[in-house]
Amino acid sequence: MRASPPPSEPVPAITGEDFLKFKEFFYRKTGINFEPAKRYFVDKRLVERIEATRTGDFRGYFTLLRFLDSGEELQQLTNLMTVNETYFLREEYQFRCLVDSILPEIVQRRTGSHPIRIWCIPSSSGEEPYSVAMYLMEMWSGISDWDVEIISSDIDTSILRRARAARYSIRSVQHVPALWLEKYFKGVANEYQLCDDLRQAVEFTRVNLSEPADTFRYRNFDVIFCRNLLIYFDDVSRKTAAETFYEALNPGGYICLGHSESMSRISPLFKVCKFPEAIVYRKGLEAR
Amino acid sequence: MGLVKRKAIPPAEAAKPKQEQSCMELAACLEDADPRTRRRAARDMLHCPHAAGVLASRLNREPDTAVREVILTTLVRLNDPSAAGRMADCLRSEDAALRNEVIEAIGLLACDVSDVLRSLLADPDPDIRIFAVNILDSRRQPDVESWLIEVIERDAHLNVCATAVDVLCEAGSEAAVDPLLRLKDRFRSEAFIQFAANRALKRIRGA
Repeated sequence: MRASPPPSEPVPAITGEDFLKFKEFFYRKTGINFEPAKRYFVDKRLVERIEATRTGDFRGYFTLLRFLDSGEELQQLTNLMTVNETYFLREEYQFRCLVDSILPEIVQRRTGSHPIRIWCIPSSSGEEPYSVAMYLMEMWSGISDWDVEIISSDIDTSILRRARAARYSIRSVQHVPALWLEKYFKGVANEYQLCDDLRQAVEFTRVNLSEPADTFRYRNFDVIFCRNLLIYFDDVSRKTAAETFYEALNPGGYICLGHSESMSRISPLFKVCKFPEAIVYRKGLEAR
Repeated sequence: MGLVKRKAIPPAEAAKPKQEQSCMELAACLEDADPRTRRRAARDMLHCPHAAGVLASRLNREPDTAVREVILTTLVRLNDPSAAGRMADCLRSEDAALRNEVIEAIGLLACDVSDVLRSLLADPDPDIRIFAVNILDSRRQPDVESWLIEVIERDAHLNVCATAVDVLCEAGSEAAVDPLLRLKDRFRSEAFIQFAANRALKRIRGA
């Protein structure tokens, strides 16, 4: 008689019903909506957390997820369910929206010649604010008539140093058109160094978005890019952040969130604006 | 014209607010005609003693949505149980937006609001009891199921029970099965309760 192999731990199964239950719950909590095509991606990560928390099956894990007061497990899972990466021209449709829809509206309303102010938070390693700068230079004819200030902030001082250094991997610049790459970057070893003109066009600052003593200085912005940050916050912090942005924006100013984020689920302070290129949010023109 | 860079953001030390306002001054600012002043006062009252009472009493009279939002966020951050009762008074408001904002805010309070919930669930007005179930739904408390079971076992109003059943669909376990069956029995002639309870039972049993 041959000895049978030792029994291995069965992999917890996620049923279709479990997936739907989780999908509804996760959408309510984070605004992230998983289509059925993402089933494999979601199941794999759920199984990973069921095993890590030793909850045994989906039911046990879902109870933990729903009732753990600290929200720690939801945060862990959210981190797994989101891809934390950035690169030049990520979600490019929003930059198109900026130059084709948002800025034309802003300059049409503007009286006087004071600069247009754009705030990018989080800065991360600088790809986003520099993408905004590059896009304005290449795609917005209004740049010859208007001054634009770009301020980019992050809580992490080491990432700000990297942003100021502006040296990037091939992967980071893979979506930059060849002509722009040639114009704005210089190859250094296996990396790309951004040119000084663009580096000097962005002011990098350290800000904790949840700290009023940090944020009260940030005022009179026309556009805020805050993409893929709020999904990592809890509900109260998200609301506080939304109120900070409200204070920071001029009346009629715009806020652009990541594609899986929705301001409507965070705060009623902003109006939804459906432009041809993207959905963004606007502070009321009548607001003060 | 073009991209310009200047020290757009003054360093924190150089840009301190003119002068820190006292809590009494902030409370007075809550009555200011300018919503910006009221909004900033509501935010800055976070560190004031007795702020919860002052903010909650302003909430019911505050006409500006943005100011209300900041008041509610500060109340949630204060996490003072006494504020929950004052906030709950706004559930009787004719303003549906305010009611929804309050339901959400009480749901976010981390402190124990059992006394407030108990009182709301015993309210003679079924709408208030429905709002209480909505608050239960939005709170992450482990005993939510037992609260909901109590509602479907005792409440005489169809819509209150239906709202609780809806939440049990997601939050219910085996413990809710018998109460759901008894509810079906209690509202035998109500097709909607039959449908909702069957749906919840199906979800709970994983069929």
